[in-house]
Amino acid sequence: MKVTVSLNVNGEAWELSIEADRTLLDVLRTELMLTGTKTNCLEAECGVCTVLVDGMAVNSCTVLAVTAQGRQITTIEGLARDGELHPLQQAFIDRGAVQCGYCIPGMILSAKAFLDEHPSPTDGQIREALAGNLCRCTGYQKIVDAVQDAARVLRRERRR
Amino acid sequence: MSELRTVGKRVPRVDARAKVTGTAVFAADFSLPGTLHGRIVRSTEPHARLVVIDTRRAAALPGVRAVITAADIPDVRYGGALKDETVFANDRVRYVGQPIAALAATSQAAAEAAAAAIEVRYEPLPAVFDVEAAMAPGAPLLHPDWETYTAIPLLKREGNVCNRARIVAGDVERGFEEADRIFEHRYTTAMVHQGYTEARAALASWDGSGQLTVWSNTQLPFEVQNTLAEILQVPPGKIRVVVTAIGGGFGGKLRVGVEHFAALLAKKAGRPVKILTTTEEELVASYPRQSTVIDLRTGVTKDGRIVAKQGRIVFDTGAFAGSGPGVASVATLVLAGPYRIPNLLIEGLAIYTNKTNCGSYRAPSGPQASFAVESQMDEIADALGLDPLELRLRNIVRDGDEGPTGQVLSSVGLEECLERAAAAIGWGERRPAPGRGKGIACGWWTTTGGSSGVYVKLNADGSVALSTGAAEIGSAALTGAAQILAEELGIDVADITLVSADTFATPFDFGAQGSRTAFAVGNACRIAAAEVRRQLFALASRELGVSEDRLALGERHVSGGGERIALADLARIANQTGGGIIAHGTFIAPPTPYDEKRVEAHVYPAFHSPSFHAHAVDLSVDPETGDVEIHRYVVAQDVGRAINPTYIEGQIEGGVAQGLGQALSEEIVYRDGRVLNPNLTDYKMPTAVDVPRVESILVEHPSVVGPYGAKGVGEPPNIEPPAAVANAIAAATGVRIRSLPITAEKIVTREASACR
Repeated sequence: MKVTVSLNVNGEAWELSIEADRTLLDVLRTELMLTGTKTNCLEAECGVCTVLVDGMAVNSCTVLAVTAQGRQITTIEGLARDGELHPLQQAFIDRGAVQCGYCIPGMILSAKAFLDEHPSPTDGQIREALAGNLCRCTGYQKIVDAVQDAARVLRRERRR
Repeated sequence: MSELRTVGKRVPRVDARAKVTGTAVFAADFSLPGTLHGRIVRSTEPHARLVVIDTRRAAALPGVRAVITAADIPDVRYGGALKDETVFANDRVRYVGQPIAALAATSQAAAEAAAAAIEVRYEPLPAVFDVEAAMAPGAPLLHPDWETYTAIPLLKREGNVCNRARIVAGDVERGFEEADRIFEHRYTTAMVHQGYTEARAALASWDGSGQLTVWSNTQLPFEVQNTLAEILQVPPGKIRVVVTAIGGGFGGKLRVGVEHFAALLAKKAGRPVKILTTTEEELVASYPRQSTVIDLRTGVTKDGRIVAKQGRIVFDTGAFAGSGPGVASVATLVLAGPYRIPNLLIEGLAIYTNKTNCGSYRAPSGPQASFAVESQMDEIADALGLDPLELRLRNIVRDGDEGPTGQVLSSVGLEECLERAAAAIGWGERRPAPGRGKGIACGWWTTTGGSSGVYVKLNADGSVALSTGAAEIGSAALTGAAQILAEELGIDVADITLVSADTFATPFDFGAQGSRTAFAVGNACRIAAAEVRRQLFALASRELGVSEDRLALGERHVSGGGERIALADLARIANQTGGGIIAHGTFIAPPTPYDEKRVEAHVYPAFHSPSFHAHAVDLSVDPETGDVEIHRYVVAQDVGRAINPTYIEGQIEGGVAQGLGQALSEEIVYRDGRVLNPNLTDYKMPTAVDVPRVESILVEHPSVVGPYGAKGVGEPPNIEPPAAVANAIAAATGVRIRSLPITAEKIVTREASACR
């Protein structure tokens, strides 16, 4: 059965007629063609599908699209502003934290949700926060370093 | 060498921005209008006669556009060294997960419904799940017709043995007579998966002229092109393979994965078909790393000189040979080890069983063989009362020594790797506290040869397009190649646009495998750059009226004799007058001489431009729970020349993380031919909280062949972690675990039995 759903994704309003049982991941990728959100295990184990819903990191593979109605959804495509990278994106580049890159959109969004709540984290807290995002390439080290770098930049920005 | 501008610098990778903004298009993301969803129907029996496959009900369901089985396609056996595989099971199935049929439908849901509607009836056959049972007389044969299969002639095959590779050097029996002590141990390792986060995916589309285009996340587009030609019975010139961004490969995406199913379905349906494998399919029916059984018998003198080694490594290659015959060959070089041993008899066997067809995984055979060799080195050292580091230093190869098959070694950085890793970990205090210990392991690996071609073209703005048939699997190897090109042309990496890889548009490349990409493509870039310079100087000489020998390249200009002209101007002039500036650079690694008399049925008899490495780890074991906590992990790796230290560290850090997974937690668990843990909850890959910080020491003993001296760096970091960890656990607990993974359960059980 199809239902009408209003979604706000990266600040853009969408009105969609979709089956009620479709996941947010599926709708983002196949209806909105926002393929920056990745697909893999579909069981909320690997984290590549992480998006922000009202600022909270969620595995979009296990969230029904209808439940995201009325909430602010942010995907990796919505993170850079006017062509300027978010400090996390820039830090991931500068630190060499990107290899194949498939886990990176989810990783960056998990890190963003975390840094919004914990502006001055320890390495250990960062690792805990990212434990739901599998990366098979990097061994996580440069990712942790990039998140620390971004945290510093964001703290500076907040002070201004 | 004069000061380098780009080589050796921490330049950001060329695809970084696309990857952090979500704009890089991976195979899983790619689609065309009208694309159908493809799905594979797989065997539920490990070994059985296929009595009935009835697809009629499935084909009649709404949305179903194509259903195919073995009856609908050319009857072809394909494969690498041994052509034993078919697209679909024909008269019998040989493992749970073997493809029986494939279908395409207008939605995922319709495809799933149709898959469930295919009726299959089996008549079970006796199955064999264990390599030793499979080798025993009277064992059920996986391939009763094995003798009729096409294979490269040098393989040595017999029944379930699909290759038996050997190294024979000196006289091993006489060697054992010279030995004061002989040590015999058995080690075993489990089947593990590459664990790439993007599953294998492909989209296939035929045009009206009979040309097929496949977009795929393959590591080897040219190999896929040729395999598709074989399977489809279509000339390679009609098959274009385009590589998308690849969400990790680690060897799991070398061979045709789902491309052939997509192509066959697309042909039948007359529409594009895309297949994206599921996590369950990945863990049940992909090309994982073989489990092994390894027997080692090593003879040493009292003062710790190894005088003889006899070894046998048996690979469970699954229902088809896959990479088995080659991996069994490579393994013998690792099993001999980076040691001077005058008398050797080393065998590598690949054995058929009723399990999934295993393949190549980052340093194929490396971690398994290293686990055995380097564990035993510590066991020998302990028994002789020698320090494990000292035992290694007394036996390792150095410049001028021979490798196990007689290759003469040069630029051997092993001693430096061992000493620097040991110093960094604080080797002097090997057991700093109760339950805490340090372990060390060393090894060697190849930089695979094969040919590479590149086109280098000057764009109208003076920037450069680098076109390569090599795929970028994430290692940043092509950024390394771009750095080499930039260095040679006096430009920045930011001035280079990368085009990769398209079997119609880009030159041939042997592929992203064997730690070879930066090495081989980088060398091809050097050759191409020389030709670009020649063309630029000829043109600039005419334009400037300055002789070519007085010209130099730099700052996006050619200059000399007080004159200069911008590359953009030269590009414009060349485009208008002579078809532009373009060069074809090619490279093939020279063969490495070895003693042919020492090898039998050997697919990989010498390591080209070998790399050397040592890993050291400091860890604690909780005596109650068996949990392992890693305090520090050090890698010293001889990389020849670090083209980009950032991404070499990235290879080391990631390779260690994967290696720690294999050491401590990862295992595809089979029971009676069925995988018990085909999901990411129960197949336990390390997360951010499981992996320690890794300290990388880049040792540089330049290869004479590598670009700027570089050796292959991608695979080696994956080799030594299981051995280093096993040795540290033994140092910490006194318990020697000889089977991977070394789970907490194994440690606690063994500790408890040791206390009784």
